[in-house]
Parts: sequence; C-alpha cells; structure tokens
Amino acid sequence: RYVRQLQRLQLLFSPTAADARGARQFVEEAALDFARRHPDVVLYISPRAGLAPVLLAEYLNGTVREELIASKTSEEIVQLATKLARQSGLDIIRIRKPFHTDNPSVQGQWHPLTNKPSALTVQGPRLQPQ
Amino acid sequence: VAKTSLTSPPWPEVKLPDPVEEAKYHAEVVQKVNKMIATGQYGRLFAVVHFASKQWKITSEDLIMMDNVLEAECGDRIRMEKVLLVGADDFTLIGRPLLGKDLVRVEATVIEKTESWPKINMRFWKRHNYQKKKIIVHPQTVLRINTIEIFPCLS
Repeated sequence: RYVRQLQRLQLLFSPTAADARGARQFVEEAALDFARRHPDVVLYISPRAGLAPVLLAEYLNGTVREELIASKTSEEIVQLATKLARQSGLDIIRIRKPFHTDNPSVQGQWHPLTNKPSALTVQGPRLQPQ
Repeated sequence: VAKTSLTSPPWPEVKLPDPVEEAKYHAEVVQKVNKMIATGQYGRLFAVVHFASKQWKITSEDLIMMDNVLEAECGDRIRMEKVLLVGADDFTLIGRPLLGKDLVRVEATVIEKTESWPKINMRFWKRHNYQKKKIIVHPQTVLRINTIEIFPCLS
C-alpha cells in the first residue's frame, strides 16, 4: 500500500502579469489532467497580484517547497509538478548511505570469535581435549 | 624411502568421504531443509540481490536507493529476479550463481523518485585563466523491500 507524500499543491499567480502566461495556460489546459492523474494530491489555484508566480508544495512531514514558475511554458510546469508529486518531504542534502535497515543482521553479527574452536576443544602441548 | 620435510604437502591431508554416502547425506539434508521451509520454521529471511549493477543484502522492510530512473511509477510493486543467496537463522540457500525463480520471490515497491542534491563539477587551472563550473543533479529512485518468500521446491 502506497501513500503519496505530497499533500497539496498551491498555484499562486496573477491574471495580468506577463511572466505568468505559462501558469495561465497550464491552468486552462493541463491542470485537470494533472489532477485526474494524481487523485490523492489536492490542487489549489488562487489568484495573487503583484508578486511572482509560484508553485507551493506541502508534504506530509510539514516541509514546504516553493518553485518559481515565471516565464515557464505549460509543459515545463507539468514536468515540475510531476517531479514534486513523486518526491517526499525530506531535505535534499547529501545522504551518506544508499540503504537503510532496521534489522542489519539475521544470523547474528560477526565478531572475531565466531567460527573459531573454543579453548575446550583445542589440543595444545599440555592441554588435552575434554 | 625416507620421509623429508617435502614428501607431503604442509597442509593437513583431507580424506574425502564416499560418494554414495555423500549423496545420501545430501539428500537427507535437502529433505530436512524442505520440511523446515514447508512447515514455516524460519524467522527473518535475508537475501543477496543483484540490482542496478550492484549487489545488495536486503531483508524485509528496508530502504534502497539507486542513482537511475526506473520505468515504474510511484507505488508500483516490483518483483526482483537475480537472487544470489537466501538465508535464514538456521540454513542458507546458495545459488550458482543465481537461484531459481520458483524458489525465491522478492517484492519491492517504488516509494519516491527525486533528484539528488546539486553536485558541483568544477575545473580550475591556476595561472591559465581557465575555470568551468557545472551543477549536476541526477535522478534517484527509492525502493522499499516488502517481502522475501521461499517455496519448498528443492531437489
């Protein structure tokens, strides 16, 4: 069972600014398709005048990511939105290990005394095996 | 002929058992392991899987990340073939080099498809007025291993 980590996408743009043309085209043409393809993401579209057009993405762990969509075509915005929809809300920093386990050892962790005969069975010059 | 220090090799001489007896012993061990698997007496299973040109040691419910793009969408279940080794608490099944597909089943789900952190690729030669800077961002996929199952069809 898979839970998408993206909670909502807020599209804020102004209806008159020139750099929000791609956002307006996206809203007219591709927003419905995007919403239908990702039924568990809520898409809010609200007009906001005076500031640059922005795509806000909120994730289930509370992180909020802002992406500028000024002077971008509708296809680029679609690609950006799908990329954000597939991400999770963790910070994009250097991860040290590409794997993570909660149970790293199944047969017991190796220590230097595994697979060695114990002192009771070793035959030394004076010590007889018991 | 007199025995010198080089008549016999320095390692202890090993006597191989009788082939007939050995075959009987092998069959017995195989039957025992089969019965154990059929009754379900194993606890946690781990497997060594060859995936994305790397070999991973995986158990159930653990995360794996790879630096490429998989064609599956987020939330798809994937079955991993190319299993080299499967082990439990008491027994291990070693493949030469792979185990059969009717013996092991490893399932994983695609959780996330993000991009990596922006890596800087810069070249600089001093006193030559030469520098180039490029920021590389490559896509990554995160998988979670759901289950590892074995079926009692050894021979």
